[in-house]
Amino acid sequence: MKQSRRRIREGRYFYLFISPWLVGFIALALFPVLASFYYSFTEYDIIHAPQWIGLGNYRELFRDEQFWNSIRVTVKYTVVSVPLTLVLSLLLAILINQKWPLRGFFRTAVYFPSMISGVSMSLLWFWVFNPQAGLFNYVLSWFGIEPIHWLLDAKYAIWALVIMSFWGVGTGMLIFLAGLQGVPSHLLEAAKLDGAGPLRSFRNVTLPMISPVFLFQLIVGMIDSFQVFTQAYTITQGGPSYSTWFYVYNIYVNAFKNFRYGYASALAWLLLVAVMVVTFAIMKASNRYVYYEGGPSR
Amino acid sequence: MSELTTSAAACKPRRRGPKLSSVLGVAALLIVTVIMLSPLWFMVATALKTTKEMLRFPPTVIPEQFAWGNFKELFVNSEIKFGRQYMNSVIVAVFSVFGTVLSSSLVAFGFSRYRAKGSQVLFMLVLSTMMLPYPAIMIPQFLLFTKLGLHDSLLPLILPNFVGSAYMIFLLRQFFSTLPAELYDAGRIDGSGEFRLYWSLTLPLAGPVLATVAIFTFIWSWNDLLAPVLYLDSQENFTLPIGMAAMMSSKFRLAPWNLLMAASILASIPIILMFVVAQRRFVEGIVLTGMK
Amino acid sequence: MRGKGKWATVPLGAAVLTAMTATGCSGGGGGSGGEKVTITHYTIDSPDRTFVEKLIPDFEKAHPNIKVKVTKAPYEQFDSKLQSAIAAKNAPDVTSHWGYGGFMEYYNKGMLMDLTPYLEEGGFKASDYNIPDSVMDIYKVDGKTYGIPLNSYVTVMLYNKDLFDKAKLEYPPTDYEDKSWTFDKMVDYAKKMTVDSTNLAEAQYGVDFGWGERDQRPQYFGANVYSEDTWTNGGKPTEINLSKPETIDAYKKIYGLIWDQKVSPTAAFSKSVSGQFGDPFLSGKIGMSVVGSWSLASAKDFSFNVGVAAVPQGPNEKVRSVLYVDPLFVLKDSKHPKEALEWIKYLITTEVQEKSIELSGGNPPVNQKAAEKYYSNFEGIDPEQIKQVYEGAFKYGFESYNHLISNYSQINELFINELAPVENGDKKAEEVLPVIEEKLKKLLQRVNE
Repeated sequence: MKQSRRRIREGRYFYLFISPWLVGFIALALFPVLASFYYSFTEYDIIHAPQWIGLGNYRELFRDEQFWNSIRVTVKYTVVSVPLTLVLSLLLAILINQKWPLRGFFRTAVYFPSMISGVSMSLLWFWVFNPQAGLFNYVLSWFGIEPIHWLLDAKYAIWALVIMSFWGVGTGMLIFLAGLQGVPSHLLEAAKLDGAGPLRSFRNVTLPMISPVFLFQLIVGMIDSFQVFTQAYTITQGGPSYSTWFYVYNIYVNAFKNFRYGYASALAWLLLVAVMVVTFAIMKASNRYVYYEGGPSR
Repeated sequence: MSELTTSAAACKPRRRGPKLSSVLGVAALLIVTVIMLSPLWFMVATALKTTKEMLRFPPTVIPEQFAWGNFKELFVNSEIKFGRQYMNSVIVAVFSVFGTVLSSSLVAFGFSRYRAKGSQVLFMLVLSTMMLPYPAIMIPQFLLFTKLGLHDSLLPLILPNFVGSAYMIFLLRQFFSTLPAELYDAGRIDGSGEFRLYWSLTLPLAGPVLATVAIFTFIWSWNDLLAPVLYLDSQENFTLPIGMAAMMSSKFRLAPWNLLMAASILASIPIILMFVVAQRRFVEGIVLTGMK
Repeated sequence: MRGKGKWATVPLGAAVLTAMTATGCSGGGGGSGGEKVTITHYTIDSPDRTFVEKLIPDFEKAHPNIKVKVTKAPYEQFDSKLQSAIAAKNAPDVTSHWGYGGFMEYYNKGMLMDLTPYLEEGGFKASDYNIPDSVMDIYKVDGKTYGIPLNSYVTVMLYNKDLFDKAKLEYPPTDYEDKSWTFDKMVDYAKKMTVDSTNLAEAQYGVDFGWGERDQRPQYFGANVYSEDTWTNGGKPTEINLSKPETIDAYKKIYGLIWDQKVSPTAAFSKSVSGQFGDPFLSGKIGMSVVGSWSLASAKDFSFNVGVAAVPQGPNEKVRSVLYVDPLFVLKDSKHPKEALEWIKYLITTEVQEKSIELSGGNPPVNQKAAEKYYSNFEGIDPEQIKQVYEGAFKYGFESYNHLISNYSQINELFINELAPVENGDKKAEEVLPVIEEKLKKLLQRVNE
């Protein structure tokens, strides 16, 4: 009797405390997800009421060149930028983790650029990539390389953005650094006693230990990179020749420039599905490769 | 103790030997540092150049005369409204931090201290929304706020923070769960109500985690571009990111690279300041959230 | 991009309408002591538009029952903000097509109110406001008036007198009847002023030929991208002529200025000096610039002496200038169309139009009487010259496509992106035009069905 009254009381407090989230979840997550699902079957310009068109949007989408192009652009960017940034940041973390002089300085110096983010970073790199007065071509000119038009050239624009993304390796570096420092030194010692060289002990001890960190960064990095918007909005407007027409930029243009909220909702829904599938796939695949301390058997 | 000595002993001969690797390593890091910092240098130098000098090729490494006036121009030029937009960004960020810290900690407290029917399922729901990409839900959210007449105001940027952020709720719940139950039993015996247990017992203990939450909410809100683009109409209501993007595209016929770089520097200062002042929390936050 | 960016597309019109109370709008005008109504005037957030705020006090004094409120948005977001305001049932009463979309887009979406009954009721006569009938007709569909012209911009040639002097060239004429001023002569002049160099500080170009939007540009060379019925059927082209030889030749000529003659700045140069949307002419490194006359408004800020000239005679005898007549619309949801119309009428009176010239920094009035004052608004430029250029431009003018074609923003986006490789010199015009034609057909089929 007493027990159940207490349970009721607890339940009341529970719901009281989580009520802000509950309200938010319903109004700002659940409702939008369902609503955009509904809109995705309509034609909707927000001035007139939504018109049910069944699978019309989805059918159109598969014939829409811009849709496929935006996927190509986004995937190209993601598969190059995310893994390379990860590897670069791991390498830097390993170097900085050595007991060499100036560690603190290097750590700060490599991280510092990551604080210039968002629009500031986009503007800075638009300027760095300026074909005629920018830093990048100036440096290339020392090696006798002719000026490249970077963000103004459809062949280079996406790679310019990839290069720009490397500038943010500092974040990943810090995370790996923390991971590396978390590798128990007794394990490394043991490896050393067993006669393992630095490379082998890295492969057999360090790498498995930081693999969850790697996985975490991979997922976060991919999800982030599926949602690139700032660069496209601020500096390239998706061009030249749609070469930086990122997926989210495509959603933005369709909804807020072309007023096709129904069509854009279909795009948004596919993004949601893609994010879920990719996350799930990485988690699944990782079960085989990622080492979790204390629980690989489970 | 003995382990420590052994390892120290083992290290010594090694350190003597392959000095070359450390020299090479440091050299490599120095090169990386130069590469990483040179755009920053370019940014600062450009911000201090006159309009004439900024377009010169090859670029001058050190401005011939320091045009400090560029920074002033940002605030004086009535067409830019930089000061106003800076304030807007501060307002949005501060309220977002306040809202997120308050609501996320409330919710996290609820999840960590009480069992109730459905609490497990609800927590799974919290976790699942962590992955929910904003672009996937922005259209209905936009329509909702627009129909509420909140268009062209800062409220659609601030309000969502008052219902908690999934990631922060998760972070805080993990922390709250580590607090011993005895602590609360003692509090209850003293006659504290549940809300007091949250407010005067839990929150003070959670200072460092809350600081982490605050820092990252701030950064996230400070850099957000997509939501302001959807909601804000008039220049007076712009936040910095959208204001700066607009500054490049329209207010001037010639791209004011020097002003844009000056603006970028000023826009980055709050983040750099937080890094300097609260480096430990800052780094911890990055490690926990993976946030850029 | 270039200058057209911001202003070109749409002129300003911002009229606000107020309205009467929804119920008792018994036609009592002026100060009948009725309830006070507020009308909203929605405009671009830039000084040459927002100046209307300064006109409000006098208007409100004369119309005590009407209050005018101004709302604004930046150019890039003008259309989407308008759309959301309408969705939020918070639509402005008076506005114009100041964003990417144009009149036809608004009309086809059913956003505009038919003003005819209100105009008839009030006995409106265009001649009272010195608006030429031909200009009034631009915003009529099937004899019904949907917009009232406010400003009329034309395409002009601006030239940098300093560069002309340095190259010892004669200034180009302002008289459109001077047929010796031809496209080829312009190219000759341009060659003499061009310094082709990768060094930004040294590079200098003879001419920047920003005539109309990309799809309209062939018109100057006598080729039309869209079929004739477009101008009569509500802006929905039934045929696209991008792969016809004359259109291809036109584009070859246009981009030949950059890549064959090398007298025009590359996209790289323009964007390097002026960002994504700016006008490189302002850098002082362009000899001649063919642009919309809104660029004149900033003439006082130029760091060099500027002159104005006729657009040279091209292959098309009839069309040498793109006109951008900005109207004011009353939106369909307006509850106060009569008051809105009062405000619009106020804005086109000679007195207010004259006043607006100065307040706006030089918006060309549609009211021909006020136009006299406009011509003398530019220091250092002879009023007679501006007048001549304007009159010639009207005579040889054609309304801008963006005002006439439905769903123009999407079409324009397509041209910008598809022509980018040509502008960057990676592809030839003849390679991309058939591709654009295909894509454009698909786009039109989708949006116009």
